[in-house]
Amino acid sequence: MYRYDDIDREILADRVAEFREQCARRLAGDITEEQFKPLRLKNGLYLQLHAYMLRVAIPYGVLDSAKLRRLAHVARTYDRGYGHFTTRTNLQLHWIKLRDAADILESLAEVGLHAIQTSGNCIRNLTADPHAGATADEVDDPRVWAEVIRQWSTFHPEFSYLPRKFKIAVTGSPTDRAAIRVYDIGLRLLRDDDGALSFQVLAGGGLGRSPHLGSVIRDRLPAKHLLSYLQAILRVYNRAGRRDNPNKARIKILVAALGVAEFSRQVEEEWELTDQASIDLPDTELARIRADFQPAAMAVLPPVSAAFEAAKAADPALARFARNNVTAHKQPGYGLVNVSLKAIGETPGDCSADQMDAVADLAERYSLDEVRVTYEQNLLLPHVKLDDVAAVHAGLVAAGLATPNIGLISDIIACPGLDYCALANARAIPIAQDIARRFADPALAEKIGQLNIKISGCINACGHHHVGHIGILGVDKKGEEFYQLTLGGAADDDAALGQALGPALSADRVAPAIDDLVAAYLRERRAGERFIDTFRRTGLAPFKEAVYAEAH
Amino acid sequence: MKALTANRLIDGEVVFWTGETWSERFAAARLFDDESAAEAAEAHAKSNVTELIEPYLIDVSAVDGGVAPISYRERLRALGPTNKLEHGKQAAGGADIAVLAAAHGAARSKGRVDLIRRK
Amino acid sequence: MPKLIRWSNGEATWVEDPFTDVDDDELVPQGEVIVSLARFQREGAELLASGRGVGVRLGSDEAPETLVLDLPRIPVLALSFPKFRDGRSYSAARVARDRLGYRGEIRAVGEVFLEMAPQLSRCGFDAFAPTDNSTPQQWARSITRFRHVYQRASDEREPAFVERMGD
Repeated sequence: MYRYDDIDREILADRVAEFREQCARRLAGDITEEQFKPLRLKNGLYLQLHAYMLRVAIPYGVLDSAKLRRLAHVARTYDRGYGHFTTRTNLQLHWIKLRDAADILESLAEVGLHAIQTSGNCIRNLTADPHAGATADEVDDPRVWAEVIRQWSTFHPEFSYLPRKFKIAVTGSPTDRAAIRVYDIGLRLLRDDDGALSFQVLAGGGLGRSPHLGSVIRDRLPAKHLLSYLQAILRVYNRAGRRDNPNKARIKILVAALGVAEFSRQVEEEWELTDQASIDLPDTELARIRADFQPAAMAVLPPVSAAFEAAKAADPALARFARNNVTAHKQPGYGLVNVSLKAIGETPGDCSADQMDAVADLAERYSLDEVRVTYEQNLLLPHVKLDDVAAVHAGLVAAGLATPNIGLISDIIACPGLDYCALANARAIPIAQDIARRFADPALAEKIGQLNIKISGCINACGHHHVGHIGILGVDKKGEEFYQLTLGGAADDDAALGQALGPALSADRVAPAIDDLVAAYLRERRAGERFIDTFRRTGLAPFKEAVYAEAH
Repeated sequence: MKALTANRLIDGEVVFWTGETWSERFAAARLFDDESAAEAAEAHAKSNVTELIEPYLIDVSAVDGGVAPISYRERLRALGPTNKLEHGKQAAGGADIAVLAAAHGAARSKGRVDLIRRK
Repeated sequence: MPKLIRWSNGEATWVEDPFTDVDDDELVPQGEVIVSLARFQREGAELLASGRGVGVRLGSDEAPETLVLDLPRIPVLALSFPKFRDGRSYSAARVARDRLGYRGEIRAVGEVFLEMAPQLSRCGFDAFAPTDNSTPQQWARSITRFRHVYQRASDEREPAFVERMGD
């Protein structure tokens, strides 16, 4: 992974010093809260319901044990001993004090962590395919390019006051695990016939109040021109994006208003006028960054681990864990081990400081000192020998992190919701806990199969409910918490926005409704159909009837 | 009936105007029956820019055992998150907290199942 | 005369501002003036013919490209920040500097305060009319605080990747 050099470290140190002074100016009353707010947001510091929340950036979801241990230390020292991993692969700390913020940033900076641009109307944290560098189907490691974009976008002086936030996702694989169609810019790496790298560029995707799927604005962009092309897109957006209404200010609104063809034309025109050579990275710098992402030496192993097979045969829990949480690696004899942060009845995405330390130990010992955060709010150990999975599993069991439910019904994405978030209309966490408890039986969960439930506490859609197989949106109906269900959303290559199922349900009717939906699915499904497949075949009707029929 | 609340700048803590100071406890909040007195207090609080962020008035009503904010959002601010009862103001326990916590049920419609599981 | 902070040759100083801002419905006084784009388009030739300095004030929704033919004769471009959150003038300044080759003064007007210094200076602004009580010393410190930058902009600073090549 990318290793900070002195320049990167000095940039962080200068940023911390700057923020300290900004805080001092605010506390002295030299700047107003209105002026201070975007400054603290650009350091990831929100005022939430109960306290400040700090959103620590985890660039494209990649951590090592040193970073993860430092997050645990900060959570213990300055917060309540836990953190919350988000759908943007960042870590949120929910009980922060402004007086500690600069010290926290200084502590994070020591290991190359920061909270730069995790909020505010600027270019936010990059996300990439969580299987990067470990999957056989990738054309190139998207994290290399995510790091390229991260540096270029950090403190970009022209784009620090955009009309709204700006999010970019990168994938290197024909299978989209980065949900690139629901980002302001989505980038897919391609290899041309002559072996040259290029990008397919999508723009105008996004969830929130008015969800859009992104459109291709450029089929093939030579990879070396990535930054100058992004410069052109961002300048068009900065100048033409709406500033009159924050709900209409994202680039998706501009792309829809102009139409894809005209938007693309404006970008091309701007790009033609751009001094590309002054922006695009020289090959030496690209090579320098790329070198950090060279995979560590892996052992030459047989594709099947006799030890692992024997261990699974002897331990049904391990076998179940392997079935659901371990994915094939491009290197024979290795696997990607998913660590579920969705223990039944716990808060989705939450991880205690002790658990962080436990995962850090496992990563250091068994995963070439690398651990990742996925946008499903889980963790991932990307390079584990199959020979070692049993030991990793034992370590996870001891830490309460071995729930074998990746991609299953209890692997629920849920935003913090009204329990924490000042923007929310309703709580999301108790809904998730209720549903998970109903489907706690692992055998039942496996019988149901892949089912992505995503819960947002408000229309800002941080829980990605629009792209859940079952989406749940919290709304405020006359001062009470109600929930609007949608079906058929998907964030993968068959990306789709969910369709409303029916009138919003009161909180106590949501988990029973999920019961009804699952029952309808189990009745209707044909061999090999996941929930989403059955829905795509039958449409809403049987599900709507199951939930809203008079019999209930 | 109204009360005045804000967040404390230095640590983000939810606070309530007692008439003299800013308290972390809703039970200590000064209750306003008079609209102009409430607005005067709010205006005064807004001038206190180095101590507070965004003071605003909230609606409160009588409930069993005391007074509670009408909206569940404000009750959450006065109590803490429902998924971690050991965090937030609710961790202190006591009669004040019990009044606020019970108000969840009181302000809901009849027959509503209480989502808050108290272990 | 009102004071302005000018940033040049690595220094920030108070300067007396010789230019008078003139609204559209005001009579144009003697001396050097700054007028809106609309007024410049109507009366600019006449004003310039009188031999005085005529600067142009652009709203955040107005494009410097409109002035491409006149820029060589315009001593000051005043780019507006009606609200500090409105970041369009950062792009306008860069277009004026990089694309249109503008060499005159680009000043930031409107809601301008110290924390905007790094972005303003890097985008080619060299004069600031701050509305907080900040001083040139504070502006200089803010502008020079960051020892490195990651990307090229419209100032002279070399990006980190160029520094690295020198290692």
